[in-house]
Amino acid sequence: MVSLASLASLVQAAGQSPQPAATAPALTASSAAASDPAARPIADQGANPSANAPTTAAAPSGIGQRIYADMRPRLLQVRTLLKTQDSQSSVGSAFLVTPEGHLISNYHVVSSYALAPQRHRLVYATVDGKQGALELLAFDVVHDLALLRPVDPAPLRDRGAVPFRPEGSEPERGTRIFSMGNPLDVGFAVTEGAYNGLAERHFLPTLFFGGSLSAGMSGGPSVDPLGRLVGVNVAARRDGEQVSFLVPAALAQALLARGRDAKPITQPVHAEIERQLLAHQTALVDQFIAQPWRVAGHPRYRIPVPQERFMRCWGNGTPPSTRGLVFERSDCTMDSAVFIDERLRTGHIAMRHETYDGSRLGALRFLQRYNASFENEGVGGNDSHRVAAGCTEHSVATGGGLPMRAVVCLRAYKKLPALFDLTVLTASLDGSETGVQGRLDADGMSFDNAQRLARHYLEGFGWTNPNPAPKTVSR
Amino acid sequence: MDQPQPRPENRLALIELLDRDGRARRTVDVHAWPLTLGRALDNTCVLDDPHIAPHHATLAPDAGGQLQVQVGDSRNGLQIGQRRLAAGQAAPLPAAGALLFLGGLRLRVRLPGAPLAPEWPLANPLVAGLALWAMLLVWMLVQALHRWVALDPGADLVQWLPWLLGLPAGLAVWCGLWALGSKLFRHGFEFTSHVAIALVGLLAYEVMDLVLPVGAAAMDWPLLWQVHHQWLLPLLGMLVVRAHLRQLLPQRGLAIHVSLGAVLLAGLVVTAVVNQRQQGRIFSAPYMHTLPPPWLRLGGPVPMPALEAAMEPLRDTLLQRAKDAAAEDDAGNQADPGR
Repeated sequence: MVSLASLASLVQAAGQSPQPAATAPALTASSAAASDPAARPIADQGANPSANAPTTAAAPSGIGQRIYADMRPRLLQVRTLLKTQDSQSSVGSAFLVTPEGHLISNYHVVSSYALAPQRHRLVYATVDGKQGALELLAFDVVHDLALLRPVDPAPLRDRGAVPFRPEGSEPERGTRIFSMGNPLDVGFAVTEGAYNGLAERHFLPTLFFGGSLSAGMSGGPSVDPLGRLVGVNVAARRDGEQVSFLVPAALAQALLARGRDAKPITQPVHAEIERQLLAHQTALVDQFIAQPWRVAGHPRYRIPVPQERFMRCWGNGTPPSTRGLVFERSDCTMDSAVFIDERLRTGHIAMRHETYDGSRLGALRFLQRYNASFENEGVGGNDSHRVAAGCTEHSVATGGGLPMRAVVCLRAYKKLPALFDLTVLTASLDGSETGVQGRLDADGMSFDNAQRLARHYLEGFGWTNPNPAPKTVSR
Repeated sequence: MDQPQPRPENRLALIELLDRDGRARRTVDVHAWPLTLGRALDNTCVLDDPHIAPHHATLAPDAGGQLQVQVGDSRNGLQIGQRRLAAGQAAPLPAAGALLFLGGLRLRVRLPGAPLAPEWPLANPLVAGLALWAMLLVWMLVQALHRWVALDPGADLVQWLPWLLGLPAGLAVWCGLWALGSKLFRHGFEFTSHVAIALVGLLAYEVMDLVLPVGAAAMDWPLLWQVHHQWLLPLLGMLVVRAHLRQLLPQRGLAIHVSLGAVLLAGLVVTAVVNQRQQGRIFSAPYMHTLPPPWLRLGGPVPMPALEAAMEPLRDTLLQRAKDAAAEDDAGNQADPGR
């Protein structure tokens, strides 16, 4: 099933969230459609306990006991509170990485604060019950990391730091690793699992942890048996068992190096998010366009299908006994999207095509069904982050002169003016009983890259045979 | 010898007692003034409404020869045109005649000098007889074709049933309801007149809905396609309703035009404004979704750079829209800092 492709959850606790409906939309298979391929936070939806998979890790071994005892002073819970009241808007975990008290957590644990510091505050709680205020120094929105520091460093001083594994020394696959945090705000815990290397077909480097992560453990450390940081807990898949994800330690180390002396963030960080997303989309689009299209294998049309290097494609079609329209569908989507807040994930690409064969129907019936399937494609209205799409539509001559209808829509971000969401809808116009329709969605792109992608995508269409039909158009 | 009976055409006035439809239920020829109105038997014109006094009003010329209405000993008084008269008051009757309201009754006083409205033409059915049957047949055939197109080859005959029963029933119910209206207001069922109106409208719809979207797609004119769906089809619907209403109330032409025009305009404007606010565009559909058949592709395709160029103006429009929306959000946040 296509939808199973896209069910990773970020591991954050957004407990008793004021917008539970908006924060937990996709822990059911049906809502995990290709339109939302993001790994999503393992949000601690206090209001919706059924959404949280039970933690079913094996009991810690003797090493686990030692690791936990060793880590205990360096492990913290991070709470984002509303300034005007003491209720928490989200809860996650964090750990000390310097003796001075620098903490690493996930961006998504502190996103409410980062986007609206005037309305929120950050506090920590240690295993031994110490509490205090935190300030945000730096973040990496693309890899979902944040660097924090206590306002008063005294209570966290001399607790040691979680050491980073030396770069280039990856653990063996199958190595036992230990993940810590405060799942569901129940209490600090250690769970044990296997290191499985980099998750395949992820655009962003992501470690595959064969263990359980629950909401609230986001931002906690995962360490090897020697207590060295392997990765930062970030997400889990809800459609599988013990399929969880970590941000590689090297990225956290880089963030620490970059931000340890930064001034605390007190203003909304949209400009910095925009800068990071721009860099992300540049890399993404450059790599995407550099890959040649795969062959779709259609006898008449050349159809753009992405390489499966960082996208996954799922296909289905009509059963062979169909008396009506015969179609085949392919859905390709990136597994990860960049979390901005509970209502916005961006920086990803998805595409889809359907080929139609109406030879059992005749031209008139085919035209009616072909038209009907070009209807009702959503292009996006106003929402909390973006304004309604604007579209331009033309018949274009694509690769080799294949005439296609092309609807190109863009959506702008209210607070990220350099970024746009691109949607391209297209349908071939040359066949009276056959056709191909496609859709490309690329969220969080610069305008120039949106143009490049639209062109790259449309030019991916053509005829397989240079001249399958008398050409009626020339460029 | 008895006095000779006055000839009817020599009447000085005619009093018409109107029924609820505005037709004369009873008429009284006036051959001499004064004329008295009331429930008592010694009145010239005896009225039976309990809200009327025994001697309710008198019509008589004054010293100057001007016809006056004088209210007698009545608790309710009377109304002449828009003016109310209490007991003892008097008012002149206009030379064109007047409508008097006494109790629950309406009396029209017609005077010889009053101008007459021209003769109304009879409301003939739009189409009748064989032509009507032909139109019905054509419409049914078109619907059969639609159904045939929608069904896959070899579809079960049962799948034709909803269409076979539903469409004629729908047409009959629609026309039947209008015919009931005709019965109410015009005392005639006029079913075929309404069928004719409905069929003309439906056939016009079929022609428009075939020619315009396909034409727009063939020529690559999305604007025509949008105008057709959002404005022309509602306009056609209103024209059909207008025709039905005029069949019901032929003398209310102006009121029908004004009210339907207002409803249509309000609907179109509200839709456009709501779309503009929510979707940033006037039209509900985000794009033209009719695709032309290959043999009808008349508008030549544009080259790819032209498509990229067409994206350029979107950028500024969207950025402005985003800026406005962000400013609106910020204003909302400042007004509600506790959020």
